[in-house]
Amino acid sequence: MSGKLTVVISQAQGKHPVKRGLEESLAAALLMEPGIDLSIVPHLVDLQPGHTGRLYLEGVTGDVVVLGWLYPRAAFWLLDRIGVKGQEGTSPMHPKAEDDEDLTEEGKSELAERPPAIGPSGAIPDRVITCLDLRHKDKHEPYVEEIRRILAETRARRQSRQAQQAAGKAPVLMELGLPGNGTNGNGPIKSFSAEELLQAPPGRRWYPVIDYSRCTNCLECLDFCLFGVYGADGDGRITVENQDSCKKGCPACSRVCPHQAIMFPEYKTAAIAGAPVGAIGGLKIDLSKLFGGGVGGGGDAIALAAQERDRELVKDGREAVGLAAGIPKRQTDKAPAARDELDDLVDAIDKLDI
Amino acid sequence: MPEDQVFAIGKHRAHLPGNLLYAATNHLWAARADGSGIEMAPGVWRFGFTSYAIALMKDVYFLDWSFAPGLNVRHLEEIGHIETSKAESDLYCPATGILLRINETLLEDPSAINTDGYGTGWLYEIDCAEAPNHLIDATAYRKHLEDNWEHTQRVLKGGINSISDEADTQGDDNG
Repeated sequence: MSGKLTVVISQAQGKHPVKRGLEESLAAALLMEPGIDLSIVPHLVDLQPGHTGRLYLEGVTGDVVVLGWLYPRAAFWLLDRIGVKGQEGTSPMHPKAEDDEDLTEEGKSELAERPPAIGPSGAIPDRVITCLDLRHKDKHEPYVEEIRRILAETRARRQSRQAQQAAGKAPVLMELGLPGNGTNGNGPIKSFSAEELLQAPPGRRWYPVIDYSRCTNCLECLDFCLFGVYGADGDGRITVENQDSCKKGCPACSRVCPHQAIMFPEYKTAAIAGAPVGAIGGLKIDLSKLFGGGVGGGGDAIALAAQERDRELVKDGREAVGLAAGIPKRQTDKAPAARDELDDLVDAIDKLDI
Repeated sequence: MPEDQVFAIGKHRAHLPGNLLYAATNHLWAARADGSGIEMAPGVWRFGFTSYAIALMKDVYFLDWSFAPGLNVRHLEEIGHIETSKAESDLYCPATGILLRINETLLEDPSAINTDGYGTGWLYEIDCAEAPNHLIDATAYRKHLEDNWEHTQRVLKGGINSISDEADTQGDDNG
């Protein structure tokens, strides 16, 4: 059986000679690899609706590896947002951080009480999307190695699935991601030229990406953002409805999120850009303090978020609101009280769905 | 007009033209004239990186502004971000006023910052609401660099961890 793997390189923004060099050497090496469909698209964040690179990604149905200059978690959920869904592939290149490792005792107990995350919406196709961070290694060889490993895994999965199907034991779910026509479940529906895929996006975009494996649908971001970025879909799930209403450079809502589910893939702070818990940021030296930074500063995350929001409001010619609007009222030190009659009543009213 | 000044960073010599003023905190030069030497409207200043700043950062890869022309900016407000071969930094506004114009060509290709930092590598122009009295001349800027050099070296060598501790104890250097 053939069994191909789609590999997509998402380019860095700007003209960064080192980054461009890695993209090019990686592309050259992958072109020689058997079993791989290679495409190159602009930076994932900048792919506006209708961009050929985005249409291409939407059309790919089999297993995919996406290599880009952003954290794998940010890339995965960014793809989820544009309808490119699948199981999140894990790579030994990017081991998952131990969730509780860096948490304080307080943090751990908070984690234990955390309401369950709502998970991705809709049907998840039976295919694996693995995102690799091109900032991780400066040579193409480790990426080629890793892609070979993923290709072998893809083929093994496909074989075992076909064996299952042959034995008539295939669970219904297994059919979800398969295209109607193919037997190997891969290959784009439409084909685009390399030039079309790389068509320059009209500008750099900036918007939040929700990690639904963390989001509990508490809607605090919806209350907090006064620019209409967030909305709720038909099922009442939070979505980033109007990406381009977001204010460039402002990461305020991610600071407000109680579950660190909101990422800004391009933000300079690793935790907000989608780094796993405890990850160390870039290796470059930060000169901000030498260039005039750190004069204001200080304060907690919520105060900082309110400041950032005020700045955007004033830029828009609106009134600053400070802490007066959409700030969650956290009662962090309060133990969860036992349910009482009022809780039951409220739940009953909720169920009436008025 | 003060004479041109030179500040030596190891083998590198940072040239500080005497006909410019300097926002020492941000390591930016400020000029009342545009690139062809013509004086701009009253209150308008053009800013760019000093060769000292460029020597610390090396080749500029990526420049990004979070403000668009026409918006109000405040002195020391964060207005952008830069990534270079050696460093990255948030960028802070050198004066209070209205951001009039940004050098659009740098967004696509920032190399002019390295090749012609005092000329075509200019960053933006600000219509200063308040006279930027904190700007100092080349002689004072060179002295500022000398006075802070030891501290700067410690920050550079100490890497990221020591920056937040040490920079906060540094006195206000707005002159």
